[in-house]
Amino acid sequence: MTEEVNKADKVVEIPMTLEIPVGPQHPALHEPLLIKVYAEGEYVIKAEAHTGYNHRGIEKLAEKKSFYQDIFLCGRVCGICNTVHADCYVRALEHILNKEPPPRAKYLRTLTMELERLHSHMLVLAVTAEIVGFDTLFMHMMRDRELIMKAKEIVTGNRVIADYIMVGGVRRDLNSEKIDKLKKILTKVEPRIRYYWRVFEEDVTLNKRLVDVGKLTPVQVTSHGLLGPVARASGVATDSRYHDAYDAYAEVPFRIVTRKEGDCMARSLVRFEEMQVSLEICRYILNHLPEGEAVPDERRLPRRFPEGEAFTTVEAPRGELTYYVMSKGGVNPYRVKIRTPSYNNIINTVPFYVDHTIADVPAILASYDPCISCMERVIVVDLRKGTRKRVSMRDLARGDV
Amino acid sequence: MSSDPLEIPDVLKPIENLLKGVAIMKPGRVVALLEPSDVVKAYVALKVRYGETGLYFSTLVATDLKDEGKIRVDYYINVLEKNQYVVLRTYVPRDDPRIETLLREAPAALPGECEAYDLLGVVFEGNPHLRRAFFVPKEVAEKGIFPLRKDSGV
Amino acid sequence: MAKIPLLKEVVKLIFSKPATIQYPREETPVEPDARGRQYADLNKCVGCSLCMIECPSKAIKMEKIPEGYEVPKRNARKIYPVVDYLKCIFCYRCVTVCPTKAYVMTSEYRLASDAPVNSRELSLSTLKKASQEPSQGDEEG
Repeated sequence: MTEEVNKADKVVEIPMTLEIPVGPQHPALHEPLLIKVYAEGEYVIKAEAHTGYNHRGIEKLAEKKSFYQDIFLCGRVCGICNTVHADCYVRALEHILNKEPPPRAKYLRTLTMELERLHSHMLVLAVTAEIVGFDTLFMHMMRDRELIMKAKEIVTGNRVIADYIMVGGVRRDLNSEKIDKLKKILTKVEPRIRYYWRVFEEDVTLNKRLVDVGKLTPVQVTSHGLLGPVARASGVATDSRYHDAYDAYAEVPFRIVTRKEGDCMARSLVRFEEMQVSLEICRYILNHLPEGEAVPDERRLPRRFPEGEAFTTVEAPRGELTYYVMSKGGVNPYRVKIRTPSYNNIINTVPFYVDHTIADVPAILASYDPCISCMERVIVVDLRKGTRKRVSMRDLARGDV
Repeated sequence: MSSDPLEIPDVLKPIENLLKGVAIMKPGRVVALLEPSDVVKAYVALKVRYGETGLYFSTLVATDLKDEGKIRVDYYINVLEKNQYVVLRTYVPRDDPRIETLLREAPAALPGECEAYDLLGVVFEGNPHLRRAFFVPKEVAEKGIFPLRKDSGV
Repeated sequence: MAKIPLLKEVVKLIFSKPATIQYPREETPVEPDARGRQYADLNKCVGCSLCMIECPSKAIKMEKIPEGYEVPKRNARKIYPVVDYLKCIFCYRCVTVCPTKAYVMTSEYRLASDAPVNSRELSLSTLKKASQEPSQGDEEG
């Protein structure tokens, strides 16, 4: 290690906080994840990760609160994929209780999760564009993303944190008026997404910055446990919606999207195609909602849970999210373990930055889709001159170092 | 957890000789009970059978079973070829929790092992990246507390 | 020849209305059943404290109903829930778990303030005063 450190003339420290605390109650405190990148000239020769992010406050807190209070707690682990967290936790509880939700509730849950996938993918694609310097595209995509947030508000009652899922079903139902509004929104969004897809494929700047950058082979993907669109863009067909076929995914038109190239552009294109699949699923659900009850009476749900354990997985927009819940009887859980996909995707890919230029590092990082909003400042240490300079991520991506 | 004492599921056939017991975890995950020293051998055997791209290491869950004096370490592996999850379950003694690291075979185990060390005190021998204050804030780590243990007082 | 597909769209947008809603001159369109400020209608509340027990963020406290209000007979302990909106996460657990469906839901979301805000006045205004004239009446959102 010291040989490479001596050759390096620049050290780039990228602090990153991997948590979006949303809502007045956020028991998760974030620790910065520092990616130290040793560079010689323009090329990266070594990278290491220093501290980890800490959302473990949630796991300890979850043991002190009741099972139902934990549903709201787990829904606030991540601001952008909150429905999938709540869904995974609630399904683990339903396995422990041996209870299954009615078919209409399953369809509604799937609808909300797919809407969330849509807006999360739009966010990461917009941020990828912004990091390589394409601010206009970022603004345009965020404007169209507002339509999806409106759709989420119609379904769940809130734009961001949807406290929508409850043991035994969902917390509110859809009527025909809402379904019409949702269909109109989907009709507006679909041509926009196709337009942005074409922009990504054709635009000269994006092609120059994203093609052949950050290539990953299938063996690297499985041995390092990479998940989600990162894995699928390298040809590994893994998707929890197929493996577990939870909720309504066994009945809706769903296909796994893969590509072979494994570079940043492939990951972005995989996300676009997944958005297309999500739109198809949402439309199918709105046209084929089964009849029946979807909302359980929360006052009749059992307070004490039987002994048992369950391990559930869900396909969050970033990858496979797993929950392990263990109950020893009683009102509070004994152990709740949350393993988010960003955990694997970010920490395990640190050795893959070598042999890229410094300006590529943010582009690659953005394509792995960390919970972004938090990568703001980067410290560049010029080892030869002994100076430290504060630089924003965007300037780093443009090479202004 | 319902026990299946006689029938060994197909997916566990490569590690038949190492099994101490088999169980099923909801909703259909196959649990293989092993000795702590057999975990790495079991993973290698599964990797040989299913290929490098036929499975991936998903999650590491460590649970403090204070009343039994043990810490339970679970390794969750997703076998893509069989579309099934395999859980390698072992127990290490609570006052000296040591187990061989899986890092050489599965680099994906890195964050899981670092977290289990920082939060529960399980030492993974051979893992050079184990460090206190990886996740836990400095003040807590300096006091030598493992927050996720039941008697940590956090 | 470099392809810039976004150029046509950008030029078109220079001549059209901005997409930003000019708040506060324009109101942001909010759904009528969005989860906003909620409070207890004391004509239905029985003082069971379930909402206080179930609240994930401990934002509800039970307080004694002050003198001068006509309390319905079903509320034997004469207590009512006060929601602290600065701690509330608007999950609506209190609304769904109440055995008498006593909570009133509104879509009022503009609750940021530096002074403490709670539901005391709103809840108490649903009760008649014990004197001759009735109070302001039910406040429905």
